[in-house]
Amino acid sequence: MRAWSNALLFALALSGVPSEAAEPTAGDPLDSVMWEYNRQIFLADQPYRFDERVLVELPPFAEDPTQVPLTVDASALAGRIERVIAWADLNPIQQIFNWYPAAGSRARLSLRFKVQQATPVRAAVLTQDGVWHVGSGFVDAAGGGCTAPSMANSDPYWESHLGEIAGRRFQAGSASRYRFKVIHPMDTGLVNNIPEFFLQQLELRDGQGSVLSRMELFPPVSENPVFTFDLEGTEGPHRLWLRDNGGNEFERTL
Amino acid sequence: MLHSHFSRIFKAFALLILMLPGQSWAAPLSYDLKPQLIAEDTYLLQGRLEDFSRGNGGNIVNTAFIVTRDGVVVFDTGPSFRYGKAMRQAIAQVTDQPVLHVFNSHHHPDHFLGNQAFADGTIWALPDTGRLMAEQGGAFSDNMYRLVGDWMRATEMQLPNRPLQVDRLQVGEHRLRFFPMTGHTGADLVMLDETTGVLFAGDMVFYQRALTTPQTPGLAVWLRDLDAIAAIPHRLLVPGHGPAVPDGSAIGQMGDYLRWLDLTLRSAAERGMSMTELMKIPFDARFAEVALRRHEFIRTVAHLYPRYEEAVFQKQ
Repeated sequence: MRAWSNALLFALALSGVPSEAAEPTAGDPLDSVMWEYNRQIFLADQPYRFDERVLVELPPFAEDPTQVPLTVDASALAGRIERVIAWADLNPIQQIFNWYPAAGSRARLSLRFKVQQATPVRAAVLTQDGVWHVGSGFVDAAGGGCTAPSMANSDPYWESHLGEIAGRRFQAGSASRYRFKVIHPMDTGLVNNIPEFFLQQLELRDGQGSVLSRMELFPPVSENPVFTFDLEGTEGPHRLWLRDNGGNEFERTL
Repeated sequence: MLHSHFSRIFKAFALLILMLPGQSWAAPLSYDLKPQLIAEDTYLLQGRLEDFSRGNGGNIVNTAFIVTRDGVVVFDTGPSFRYGKAMRQAIAQVTDQPVLHVFNSHHHPDHFLGNQAFADGTIWALPDTGRLMAEQGGAFSDNMYRLVGDWMRATEMQLPNRPLQVDRLQVGEHRLRFFPMTGHTGADLVMLDETTGVLFAGDMVFYQRALTTPQTPGLAVWLRDLDAIAAIPHRLLVPGHGPAVPDGSAIGQMGDYLRWLDLTLRSAAERGMSMTELMKIPFDARFAEVALRRHEFIRTVAHLYPRYEEAVFQKQ
Protein backbone atom coordinates (compact mmCIF):
# COMPACT_ATOMS: atom_id res chain seq x y z
CA MET A 1 0.00 0.00 0.00
CA ARG A 2 2.82 2.34 0.96
CA ALA A 3 4.60 1.48 -2.28
CA TRP A 4 1.55 2.52 -4.26
CA SER A 5 1.28 5.88 -2.54
CA ASN A 6 5.01 6.48 -2.99
CA ALA A 7 4.66 5.73 -6.66
CA LEU A 8 1.73 8.09 -6.91
CA LEU A 9 3.66 10.93 -5.28
CA PHE A 10 6.60 10.28 -7.55
CA ALA A 11 4.41 10.35 -10.64
CA LEU A 12 2.64 13.52 -9.52
CA ALA A 13 5.96 15.26 -8.91
CA LEU A 14 7.07 14.36 -12.42
CA SER A 15 3.86 15.45 -14.09
CA GLY A 16 4.30 19.02 -12.97
CA VAL A 17 1.43 19.56 -10.58
CA PRO A 18 1.81 23.16 -9.33
CA SER A 19 3.78 23.49 -6.14
CA GLU A 20 4.91 26.35 -3.93
CA ALA A 21 8.03 26.64 -6.06
CA ALA A 22 6.03 28.01 -9.03
CA GLU A 23 6.56 31.62 -7.93
CA PRO A 24 7.00 33.45 -11.27
CA THR A 25 3.28 33.41 -12.07
CA ALA A 26 2.19 34.10 -8.50
CA GLY A 27 -1.56 34.54 -8.55
CA ASP A 28 -1.66 35.52 -12.23
CA PRO A 29 -5.01 34.40 -13.66
CA LEU A 30 -3.26 33.79 -17.00
CA ASP A 31 -0.36 31.92 -15.41
CA SER A 32 2.16 33.80 -17.56
CA VAL A 33 5.85 33.14 -17.03
CA MET A 34 6.46 36.83 -17.71
CA TRP A 35 4.06 38.16 -15.07
CA GLU A 36 6.54 38.53 -12.23
CA TYR A 37 9.27 39.96 -14.48
CA ASN A 38 6.97 42.63 -15.92
CA ARG A 39 5.39 43.40 -12.56
CA GLN A 40 8.82 44.26 -11.18
CA ILE A 41 9.52 46.54 -14.15
CA PHE A 42 6.19 48.36 -14.25
CA LEU A 43 4.83 48.21 -10.70
CA ALA A 44 8.02 47.62 -8.71
CA ASP A 45 7.11 47.02 -5.06
CA GLN A 46 3.88 48.97 -5.07
CA PRO A 47 0.72 47.18 -3.91
CA TYR A 48 -1.40 45.57 -6.61
CA ARG A 49 -4.28 43.19 -7.09
CA PHE A 50 -5.83 41.42 -10.04
CA ASP A 51 -9.17 43.09 -10.60
CA GLU A 52 -11.86 41.93 -13.04
CA ARG A 53 -13.37 45.42 -13.08
CA VAL A 54 -10.47 46.52 -15.27
CA LEU A 55 -11.52 45.38 -18.74
CA VAL A 56 -8.90 44.53 -21.33
CA GLU A 57 -10.93 43.93 -24.47
CA LEU A 58 -9.27 42.14 -27.37
CA PRO A 59 -10.41 39.90 -30.20
CA PRO A 60 -9.71 36.21 -29.43
CA PHE A 61 -7.10 36.13 -32.21
CA ALA A 62 -5.00 38.64 -34.13
CA GLU A 63 -6.14 38.60 -37.73
CA ASP A 64 -3.48 41.21 -38.51
CA PRO A 65 -0.68 41.07 -35.92
CA THR A 66 0.34 44.64 -36.83
CA GLN A 67 -3.14 46.04 -36.07
CA VAL A 68 -4.67 44.37 -33.01
CA PRO A 69 -7.59 46.35 -31.57
CA LEU A 70 -7.46 46.94 -27.82
CA THR A 71 -9.88 48.67 -25.47
CA VAL A 72 -8.95 49.37 -21.86
CA ASP A 73 -11.95 50.25 -19.72
CA ALA A 74 -11.40 51.11 -16.04
CA SER A 75 -14.66 53.00 -15.63
CA ALA A 76 -16.04 50.43 -13.16
CA LEU A 77 -13.43 51.49 -10.59
CA ALA A 78 -14.56 54.15 -8.11
CA GLY A 79 -12.73 57.41 -7.68
CA ARG A 80 -10.04 59.25 -9.57
CA ILE A 81 -7.73 57.22 -11.80
CA GLU A 82 -4.17 58.47 -11.65
CA ARG A 83 -2.53 56.43 -14.33
CA VAL A 84 -2.93 53.38 -16.58
CA ILE A 85 -0.03 51.28 -17.90
CA ALA A 86 -0.64 48.76 -20.69
CA TRP A 87 1.77 46.09 -21.80
CA ALA A 88 1.91 42.80 -23.70
CA ASP A 89 3.78 40.11 -21.74
CA LEU A 90 5.44 38.38 -24.68
CA ASN A 91 6.24 41.32 -26.96
CA PRO A 92 9.92 42.14 -27.50
CA ILE A 93 8.99 45.69 -26.43
CA GLN A 94 6.37 45.08 -23.76
CA GLN A 95 5.00 48.51 -22.94
CA ILE A 96 2.22 49.88 -25.17
CA PHE A 97 1.33 53.08 -23.33
CA ASN A 98 1.15 55.11 -20.16
CA TRP A 99 -2.10 57.02 -19.83
CA TYR A 100 -3.21 59.77 -17.47
CA PRO A 101 -7.00 59.98 -18.02
CA ALA A 102 -8.97 63.21 -17.86
CA ALA A 103 -10.62 63.92 -14.50
CA GLY A 104 -14.34 63.27 -14.56
CA SER A 105 -14.29 61.48 -17.92
CA ARG A 106 -14.97 57.82 -18.52
CA ALA A 107 -11.64 55.99 -18.20
CA ARG A 108 -11.97 54.12 -21.45
CA LEU A 109 -9.59 54.20 -24.39
CA SER A 110 -9.19 52.23 -27.61
CA LEU A 111 -6.26 51.91 -29.98
CA ARG A 112 -4.48 49.29 -32.10
CA PHE A 113 -1.13 47.71 -31.39
CA LYS A 114 1.33 45.11 -32.64
CA VAL A 115 1.90 41.59 -31.32
CA GLN A 116 4.88 39.38 -32.02
CA GLN A 117 3.13 36.20 -30.91
CA ALA A 118 0.17 35.02 -28.84
CA THR A 119 0.40 36.95 -25.58
CA PRO A 120 -1.33 38.07 -22.40
CA VAL A 121 -2.10 41.80 -22.44
CA ARG A 122 -2.29 43.83 -19.20
CA ALA A 123 -3.71 47.09 -18.05
CA ALA A 124 -2.57 48.21 -14.60
CA VAL A 125 -4.73 51.01 -13.21
CA LEU A 126 -3.49 53.17 -10.34
CA THR A 127 -6.25 54.53 -8.10
CA GLN A 128 -5.91 57.37 -5.61
CA ASP A 129 -5.28 55.02 -2.68
CA GLY A 130 -1.99 53.99 -4.31
CA VAL A 131 -3.14 50.50 -5.32
CA TRP A 132 -2.66 49.12 -8.84
CA HIS A 133 -5.67 47.24 -10.22
CA VAL A 134 -4.57 44.81 -12.91
CA GLY A 135 -6.86 43.61 -15.71
CA SER A 136 -5.78 40.96 -18.20
CA GLY A 137 -6.70 39.73 -21.65
CA PHE A 138 -5.22 37.24 -24.04
CA VAL A 139 -4.83 37.42 -27.80
CA ASP A 140 -3.92 34.41 -29.91
CA ALA A 141 -1.72 35.32 -32.83
CA ALA A 142 -2.44 32.18 -34.84
CA GLY A 143 -4.52 34.06 -37.42
CA GLY A 144 -6.93 32.51 -39.89
CA GLY A 145 -6.63 30.32 -42.94
CA CYS A 146 -6.62 33.13 -45.45
CA THR A 147 -4.49 35.51 -43.35
CA ALA A 148 -2.88 37.89 -45.77
CA PRO A 149 0.86 38.41 -45.56
CA SER A 150 1.70 41.89 -44.36
CA MET A 151 2.65 44.16 -47.21
CA ALA A 152 1.66 47.63 -46.03
CA ASN A 153 4.80 48.31 -44.01
CA SER A 154 6.81 49.20 -47.08
CA ASP A 155 4.24 51.73 -48.27
CA PRO A 156 6.02 55.11 -48.59
CA TYR A 157 2.73 57.07 -48.29
CA TRP A 158 3.71 58.33 -44.82
CA GLU A 159 6.78 60.16 -46.12
CA SER A 160 4.65 62.88 -47.69
CA HIS A 161 1.81 62.76 -45.14
CA LEU A 162 3.65 62.48 -41.80
CA GLY A 163 1.56 63.60 -38.87
CA GLU A 164 -1.63 64.22 -40.81
CA ILE A 165 -4.61 63.75 -38.53
CA ALA A 166 -8.04 62.66 -39.76
CA GLY A 167 -10.80 62.32 -37.23
CA ARG A 168 -14.27 63.07 -36.03
CA ARG A 169 -16.24 63.89 -32.92
CA PHE A 170 -19.25 61.76 -31.99
CA GLN A 171 -21.88 62.62 -29.43
CA ALA A 172 -22.15 59.87 -26.79
CA GLY A 173 -24.70 60.97 -24.19
CA SER A 174 -23.23 63.85 -22.21
CA ALA A 175 -19.74 62.98 -23.43
CA SER A 176 -17.88 63.60 -26.65
CA ARG A 177 -16.21 60.67 -28.28
CA TYR A 178 -13.18 61.52 -30.36
CA ARG A 179 -11.82 59.10 -32.90
CA PHE A 180 -8.77 60.01 -34.95
CA LYS A 181 -6.06 58.51 -37.09
CA VAL A 182 -2.52 59.86 -37.27
CA ILE A 183 -0.23 59.07 -40.20
CA HIS A 184 3.02 57.78 -38.71
CA PRO A 185 5.20 54.71 -39.44
CA MET A 186 5.67 53.88 -35.73
CA ASP A 187 8.93 52.05 -36.48
CA THR A 188 10.01 49.79 -33.64
CA GLY A 189 13.74 49.78 -34.39
CA LEU A 190 13.57 45.98 -34.59
CA VAL A 191 13.58 45.83 -38.40
CA ASN A 192 16.96 45.80 -40.16
CA ASN A 193 18.46 49.27 -40.59
CA ILE A 194 15.25 51.12 -39.77
CA PRO A 195 15.76 53.10 -36.53
CA GLU A 196 12.91 53.50 -34.08
CA PHE A 197 10.67 56.38 -35.08
CA PHE A 198 7.40 56.67 -33.22
CA LEU A 199 4.85 58.99 -31.66
CA GLN A 200 5.91 59.41 -28.06
CA GLN A 201 3.52 61.94 -26.52
CA LEU A 202 -0.16 62.64 -26.99
CA GLU A 203 -2.21 65.32 -25.22
CA LEU A 204 -5.88 66.27 -25.33
CA ARG A 205 -6.23 69.93 -24.34
CA ASP A 206 -9.18 72.20 -23.77
CA GLY A 207 -9.76 75.51 -25.56
CA GLN A 208 -7.47 77.36 -23.12
CA GLY A 209 -4.60 74.93 -23.68
CA SER A 210 -4.87 73.09 -20.36
CA VAL A 211 -4.06 69.39 -20.60
CA LEU A 212 -7.11 67.21 -19.91
CA SER A 213 -5.63 63.83 -20.67
CA ARG A 214 -2.20 62.71 -21.82
CA MET A 215 -0.41 59.58 -22.98
CA GLU A 216 3.14 58.35 -23.39
CA LEU A 217 3.24 55.99 -26.36
CA PHE A 218 5.68 53.20 -27.19
CA PRO A 219 6.66 51.54 -30.48
CA PRO A 220 4.14 48.64 -30.19
CA VAL A 221 1.36 51.15 -30.97
CA SER A 222 0.33 50.39 -34.57
CA GLU A 223 1.43 52.16 -37.69
CA ASN A 224 -0.99 54.99 -38.58
CA PRO A 225 -2.66 54.50 -35.20
CA VAL A 226 -6.36 55.06 -34.63
CA PHE A 227 -7.34 56.30 -31.13
CA THR A 228 -10.75 56.50 -29.46
CA PHE A 229 -11.28 58.71 -26.38
CA ASP A 230 -14.40 59.67 -24.44
CA LEU A 231 -14.32 63.16 -22.89
CA GLU A 232 -17.02 64.38 -20.53
CA GLY A 233 -18.57 67.73 -21.34
CA THR A 234 -19.22 69.02 -24.81
CA GLU A 235 -17.78 72.50 -24.45
CA GLY A 236 -15.13 72.62 -27.10
CA PRO A 237 -13.14 73.01 -29.03
CA HIS A 238 -10.70 70.39 -27.81
CA ARG A 239 -7.23 70.24 -29.28
CA LEU A 240 -5.04 67.23 -29.98
CA TRP A 241 -1.25 67.56 -29.74
CA LEU A 242 1.34 64.88 -30.52
CA ARG A 243 5.13 64.73 -30.61
CA ASP A 244 7.34 61.94 -31.96
CA ASN A 245 10.83 60.90 -30.89
CA GLY A 246 12.26 62.94 -33.78
CA GLY A 247 10.84 66.08 -32.16
CA ASN A 248 8.13 66.60 -34.79
CA GLU A 249 4.97 68.13 -33.35
CA PHE A 250 1.51 67.65 -34.79
CA GLU A 251 -1.61 69.50 -33.72
CA ARG A 252 -5.24 69.73 -34.67
CA THR A 253 -8.47 71.15 -33.33
CA LEU A 254 -10.91 68.29 -32.96
CA MET B 1 12.45 -7.27 -0.82
CA LEU B 2 14.01 -4.15 -2.26
CA HIS B 3 13.71 -5.61 -5.70
CA SER B 4 10.04 -6.34 -5.39
CA HIS B 5 9.43 -2.86 -3.96
CA PHE B 6 10.96 -1.23 -7.05
CA SER B 7 9.19 -3.61 -9.30
CA ARG B 8 5.85 -2.63 -7.80
CA ILE B 9 6.71 1.06 -8.11
CA PHE B 10 7.67 0.50 -11.70
CA LYS B 11 4.40 -1.26 -12.47
CA ALA B 12 2.39 1.45 -10.78
CA PHE B 13 4.26 4.13 -12.68
CA ALA B 14 3.84 2.37 -16.00
CA LEU B 15 0.13 2.07 -15.33
CA LEU B 16 -0.11 5.78 -14.58
CA ILE B 17 1.63 6.67 -17.82
CA LEU B 18 -0.78 4.48 -19.75
CA MET B 19 -3.67 6.22 -18.06
CA LEU B 20 -2.47 9.74 -18.83
CA PRO B 21 -5.02 11.56 -20.94
CA GLY B 22 -4.18 12.89 -24.38
CA GLN B 23 -1.85 10.07 -25.30
CA SER B 24 -2.58 9.04 -28.82
CA TRP B 25 -0.49 7.22 -31.33
CA ALA B 26 -0.62 8.91 -34.69
CA ALA B 27 -3.20 7.35 -36.99
CA PRO B 28 -2.39 7.57 -40.70
CA LEU B 29 -3.81 10.84 -42.03
CA SER B 30 -6.55 10.22 -44.57
CA TYR B 31 -9.00 12.63 -46.18
CA ASP B 32 -11.43 9.83 -47.01
CA LEU B 33 -12.86 11.67 -50.02
CA LYS B 34 -16.22 10.43 -51.27
CA PRO B 35 -17.28 11.69 -54.69
CA GLN B 36 -20.94 12.63 -54.71
CA LEU B 37 -22.75 12.49 -58.08
CA ILE B 38 -24.56 15.86 -58.32
CA ALA B 39 -25.39 15.95 -62.06
CA GLU B 40 -24.68 13.90 -65.13
CA ASP B 41 -20.90 13.14 -65.27
CA THR B 42 -20.37 15.62 -62.42
CA TYR B 43 -18.97 14.82 -58.97
CA LEU B 44 -18.59 16.98 -55.87
CA LEU B 45 -16.10 16.43 -53.03
CA GLN B 46 -17.72 18.48 -50.29
CA GLY B 47 -15.56 19.85 -47.49
CA ARG B 48 -16.58 20.44 -43.90
CA LEU B 49 -18.09 23.70 -42.68
CA GLU B 50 -15.11 24.37 -40.42
CA ASP B 51 -11.99 26.44 -40.13
CA PHE B 52 -8.57 24.91 -40.90
CA SER B 53 -7.48 22.50 -38.20
CA ARG B 54 -5.21 19.56 -37.53
CA GLY B 55 -8.36 17.46 -37.27
CA ASN B 56 -9.68 18.20 -40.77
CA GLY B 57 -6.36 18.64 -42.59
CA GLY B 58 -7.75 21.67 -44.37
CA ASN B 59 -10.57 19.73 -46.02
CA ILE B 60 -13.03 22.60 -45.60
CA VAL B 61 -13.38 23.29 -49.28
CA ASN B 62 -15.47 22.00 -52.20
CA THR B 63 -13.70 20.52 -55.19
CA ALA B 64 -15.36 18.92 -58.19
CA PHE B 65 -14.72 17.02 -61.39
CA ILE B 66 -16.51 16.32 -64.65
CA VAL B 67 -15.98 13.04 -66.53
CA THR B 68 -16.24 13.71 -70.27
CA ARG B 69 -15.78 11.21 -73.08
CA ASP B 70 -12.35 12.72 -73.80
CA GLY B 71 -11.06 13.03 -70.27
CA VAL B 72 -11.63 14.58 -66.85
CA VAL B 73 -12.04 18.26 -65.96
CA VAL B 74 -11.09 19.24 -62.39
CA PHE B 75 -12.34 22.39 -60.61
CA ASP B 76 -10.00 23.24 -57.69
CA THR B 77 -7.49 20.85 -56.16
CA GLY B 78 -7.78 21.24 -52.39
CA PRO B 79 -5.45 22.36 -49.59
CA SER B 80 -2.45 19.99 -49.85
CA PHE B 81 -0.45 17.57 -51.99
CA ARG B 82 -2.00 14.78 -49.91
CA TYR B 83 -5.49 16.05 -50.79
CA GLY B 84 -4.57 16.30 -54.48
CA LYS B 85 -3.39 12.69 -54.48
CA ALA B 86 -6.55 11.57 -52.63
CA MET B 87 -8.63 13.46 -55.19
CA ARG B 88 -6.89 11.65 -58.03
CA GLN B 89 -7.63 8.33 -56.35
CA ALA B 90 -11.26 9.36 -55.94
CA ILE B 91 -11.40 10.21 -59.65
CA ALA B 92 -9.79 6.86 -60.53
CA GLN B 93 -12.54 5.06 -58.62
CA VAL B 94 -15.09 6.60 -60.95
CA THR B 95 -13.34 6.55 -64.32
CA ASP B 96 -10.26 5.34 -66.18
CA GLN B 97 -10.16 8.57 -68.19
CA PRO B 98 -7.07 10.77 -67.82
CA VAL B 99 -7.26 14.20 -66.22
CA LEU B 100 -7.04 16.71 -69.07
CA HIS B 101 -7.86 20.11 -67.62
CA VAL B 102 -7.55 21.55 -64.12
CA PHE B 103 -9.01 24.94 -63.16
CA ASN B 104 -8.03 26.95 -60.07
CA SER B 105 -10.88 29.26 -59.09
CA HIS B 106 -8.63 31.70 -57.17
CA HIS B 107 -5.36 31.96 -55.26
CA HIS B 108 -6.44 30.95 -51.75
CA PRO B 109 -4.48 27.97 -50.41
CA ASP B 110 -7.38 25.55 -49.88
CA HIS B 111 -8.23 25.77 -53.58
CA PHE B 112 -4.88 25.16 -55.28
CA LEU B 113 -2.22 23.59 -53.05
CA GLY B 114 -3.32 20.17 -54.37
CA ASN B 115 -2.03 21.21 -57.84
CA GLN B 116 1.15 19.16 -57.33
CA ALA B 117 -0.86 15.97 -57.86
CA PHE B 118 -2.02 17.30 -61.25
CA ALA B 119 1.30 18.62 -62.56
CA ASP B 120 1.07 16.31 -65.59
CA GLY B 121 -2.08 18.08 -66.87
CA THR B 122 -2.98 21.55 -68.04
CA ILE B 123 -3.60 23.79 -65.01
CA TRP B 124 -5.59 26.88 -65.92
CA ALA B 125 -6.17 30.03 -63.88
CA LEU B 126 -7.00 33.65 -64.58
CA PRO B 127 -3.75 35.60 -65.30
CA ASP B 128 -4.20 37.69 -62.13
CA THR B 129 -4.78 34.55 -60.10
CA GLY B 130 -1.43 33.18 -61.29
CA ARG B 131 0.26 36.45 -60.37
CA LEU B 132 -1.35 36.51 -56.90
CA MET B 133 -0.34 32.88 -56.30
CA ALA B 134 3.26 33.70 -57.19
CA GLU B 135 3.20 36.73 -54.85
CA GLN B 136 1.39 35.28 -51.85
CA GLY B 137 1.32 31.50 -52.29
CA GLY B 138 4.51 30.96 -50.31
CA ALA B 139 3.15 32.77 -47.26
CA PHE B 140 -0.19 30.97 -47.60
CA SER B 141 1.60 27.65 -47.79
CA ASP B 142 3.67 28.42 -44.65
CA ASN B 143 0.49 29.37 -42.84
CA MET B 144 -1.19 26.11 -43.85
CA TYR B 145 1.72 24.07 -42.46
CA ARG B 146 1.24 25.97 -39.20
CA LEU B 147 -2.53 25.49 -39.11
CA VAL B 148 -2.94 21.86 -40.19
CA GLY B 149 0.51 20.40 -39.60
CA ASP B 150 1.57 17.04 -41.01
CA TRP B 151 -1.28 16.87 -43.52
CA MET B 152 0.78 19.34 -45.54
CA ARG B 153 3.92 17.21 -45.69
CA ALA B 154 5.72 17.47 -49.06
CA THR B 155 3.26 20.13 -50.29
CA GLU B 156 4.94 22.71 -52.48
CA MET B 157 3.26 25.38 -54.49
CA GLN B 158 2.60 24.31 -58.09
CA LEU B 159 1.65 27.35 -60.14
CA PRO B 160 -0.88 27.12 -62.97
CA ASN B 161 0.79 26.54 -66.33
CA ARG B 162 -1.84 28.06 -68.62
CA PRO B 163 -3.33 31.56 -68.24
CA LEU B 164 -7.07 31.42 -68.84
CA GLN B 165 -7.77 33.98 -71.56
CA VAL B 166 -10.63 32.27 -73.37
CA ASP B 167 -14.25 32.43 -72.35
CA ARG B 168 -15.26 29.03 -73.74
CA LEU B 169 -13.77 25.56 -74.00
CA GLN B 170 -15.28 22.35 -75.32
CA VAL B 171 -14.06 19.18 -73.59
CA GLY B 172 -15.63 16.00 -74.99
CA GLU B 173 -19.37 16.59 -75.04
CA HIS B 174 -19.19 19.28 -72.31
CA ARG B 175 -19.28 22.97 -73.24
CA LEU B 176 -17.56 25.06 -70.57
CA ARG B 177 -17.96 28.81 -70.16
CA PHE B 178 -15.83 31.09 -68.00
CA PHE B 179 -16.72 34.27 -66.14
CA PRO B 180 -13.82 36.26 -64.70
CA MET B 181 -14.85 38.18 -61.57
CA THR B 182 -13.11 40.07 -58.73
CA GLY B 183 -15.36 40.27 -55.65
CA HIS B 184 -13.68 37.71 -53.38
CA THR B 185 -9.95 38.16 -54.07
CA GLY B 186 -9.53 40.45 -57.07
CA ALA B 187 -9.33 37.48 -59.48
CA ASP B 188 -12.09 34.90 -59.18
CA LEU B 189 -13.16 32.35 -61.75
CA VAL B 190 -16.76 31.20 -62.11
CA MET B 191 -17.29 28.27 -64.51
CA LEU B 192 -20.52 27.11 -66.11
CA ASP B 193 -20.92 23.69 -67.67
CA GLU B 194 -23.57 24.55 -70.27
CA THR B 195 -24.13 20.87 -71.01
CA THR B 196 -25.34 20.03 -67.50
CA GLY B 197 -26.23 23.51 -66.23
CA VAL B 198 -23.90 23.18 -63.24
CA LEU B 199 -22.39 26.50 -62.15
CA PHE B 200 -19.09 26.22 -60.26
CA ALA B 201 -19.02 29.47 -58.30
CA GLY B 202 -15.77 29.01 -56.36
CA ASP B 203 -15.57 31.32 -53.35
CA MET B 204 -17.66 33.96 -55.06
CA VAL B 205 -20.47 32.08 -53.26
CA PHE B 206 -20.34 30.65 -49.74
CA TYR B 207 -23.41 28.85 -48.40
CA GLN B 208 -24.17 28.03 -44.74
CA ARG B 209 -20.56 29.04 -44.00
CA ALA B 210 -19.54 32.65 -43.41
CA LEU B 211 -17.65 34.24 -46.27
CA THR B 212 -14.02 35.37 -45.91
CA THR B 213 -12.79 38.84 -46.85
CA PRO B 214 -9.00 39.19 -46.55
CA GLN B 215 -8.50 40.25 -50.17
CA THR B 216 -11.88 41.52 -51.30
CA PRO B 217 -11.68 44.78 -53.29
CA GLY B 218 -14.88 45.76 -51.44
CA LEU B 219 -18.31 44.48 -50.55
CA ALA B 220 -19.97 46.64 -53.21
CA VAL B 221 -17.81 45.02 -55.91
CA TRP B 222 -18.71 41.58 -54.60
CA LEU B 223 -22.43 42.45 -54.60
CA ARG B 224 -22.25 43.58 -58.23
CA ASP B 225 -20.54 40.32 -59.19
CA LEU B 226 -23.20 38.39 -57.29
CA ASP B 227 -25.89 40.01 -59.44
CA ALA B 228 -23.96 38.87 -62.51
CA ILE B 229 -23.82 35.31 -61.14
CA ALA B 230 -27.56 35.33 -60.46
CA ALA B 231 -28.10 36.32 -64.10
CA ILE B 232 -26.24 33.25 -65.44
CA PRO B 233 -28.87 30.59 -66.27
CA HIS B 234 -28.00 27.41 -64.35
CA ARG B 235 -29.64 24.32 -62.86
CA LEU B 236 -27.33 23.68 -59.91
CA LEU B 237 -24.92 25.96 -58.08
CA VAL B 238 -21.76 24.58 -56.43
CA PRO B 239 -20.43 27.09 -53.88
CA GLY B 240 -16.78 27.15 -52.79
CA HIS B 241 -17.87 26.16 -49.29
CA GLY B 242 -21.20 24.57 -48.31
CA PRO B 243 -23.78 22.36 -50.00
CA ALA B 244 -24.72 22.55 -53.69
CA VAL B 245 -28.17 24.03 -54.30
CA PRO B 246 -30.65 23.82 -57.21
CA ASP B 247 -32.33 27.14 -56.35
CA GLY B 248 -31.33 30.70 -55.51
CA SER B 249 -30.93 30.13 -51.77
CA ALA B 250 -27.12 30.31 -51.75
CA ILE B 251 -26.97 33.49 -53.83
CA GLY B 252 -29.81 34.93 -51.73
CA GLN B 253 -28.01 34.25 -48.45
CA MET B 254 -24.75 35.68 -49.83
CA GLY B 255 -26.48 38.85 -50.96
CA ASP B 256 -28.27 39.27 -47.62
CA TYR B 257 -25.06 38.74 -45.70
CA LEU B 258 -22.96 41.08 -47.86
CA ARG B 259 -25.60 43.82 -47.59
CA TRP B 260 -25.89 43.29 -43.83
CA LEU B 261 -22.09 43.47 -43.45
CA ASP B 262 -21.87 46.66 -45.49
CA LEU B 263 -24.69 48.31 -43.56
CA THR B 264 -23.34 47.18 -40.18
CA LEU B 265 -19.80 48.42 -40.83
CA ARG B 266 -21.07 51.72 -42.24
CA SER B 267 -23.45 52.48 -39.39
CA ALA B 268 -20.81 51.48 -36.79
CA ALA B 269 -18.34 53.93 -38.36
CA GLU B 270 -20.97 56.66 -38.41
CA ARG B 271 -21.76 56.06 -34.74
CA GLY B 272 -18.07 56.10 -33.80
CA MET B 273 -17.73 52.51 -32.60
CA SER B 274 -14.28 51.14 -31.89
CA MET B 275 -13.19 47.83 -33.44
CA THR B 276 -13.52 45.89 -30.19
CA GLU B 277 -17.09 47.16 -29.71
CA LEU B 278 -18.03 46.28 -33.27
CA MET B 279 -16.56 42.77 -33.05
CA LYS B 280 -19.04 41.94 -30.25
CA ILE B 281 -22.30 43.19 -31.74
CA PRO B 282 -25.18 40.70 -31.99
CA PHE B 283 -25.85 38.91 -35.25
CA ASP B 284 -28.93 39.26 -37.37
CA ALA B 285 -31.20 36.23 -36.74
CA ARG B 286 -31.25 35.49 -40.48
CA PHE B 287 -27.70 34.15 -40.19
CA ALA B 288 -28.21 31.89 -37.16
CA GLU B 289 -27.47 28.82 -39.30
CA VAL B 290 -24.30 30.17 -40.88
CA ALA B 291 -21.22 28.33 -39.60
CA LEU B 292 -18.22 30.34 -38.31
CA ARG B 293 -20.13 33.63 -38.50
CA ARG B 294 -18.55 35.21 -35.40
CA HIS B 295 -15.05 34.05 -36.32
CA GLU B 296 -15.32 35.43 -39.84
CA PHE B 297 -17.05 38.61 -38.71
CA ILE B 298 -14.10 39.38 -36.40
CA ARG B 299 -11.76 38.82 -39.34
CA THR B 300 -13.89 40.97 -41.63
CA VAL B 301 -13.88 43.85 -39.12
CA ALA B 302 -10.07 43.66 -39.08
CA HIS B 303 -9.93 43.61 -42.90
CA LEU B 304 -12.56 46.17 -43.83
CA TYR B 305 -13.48 48.45 -40.91
CA PRO B 306 -10.47 50.78 -41.47
CA ARG B 307 -11.94 51.69 -44.90
CA TYR B 308 -15.29 52.55 -43.34
CA GLU B 309 -13.58 54.62 -40.63
CA GLU B 310 -11.61 56.53 -43.27
CA ALA B 311 -14.86 57.34 -45.02
CA VAL B 312 -16.31 59.16 -41.98
CA PHE B 313 -13.11 60.79 -40.65
CA GLN B 314 -12.58 64.39 -41.70
CA LYS B 315 -9.19 65.17 -43.14
CA GLN B 316 -7.13 68.18 -42.13
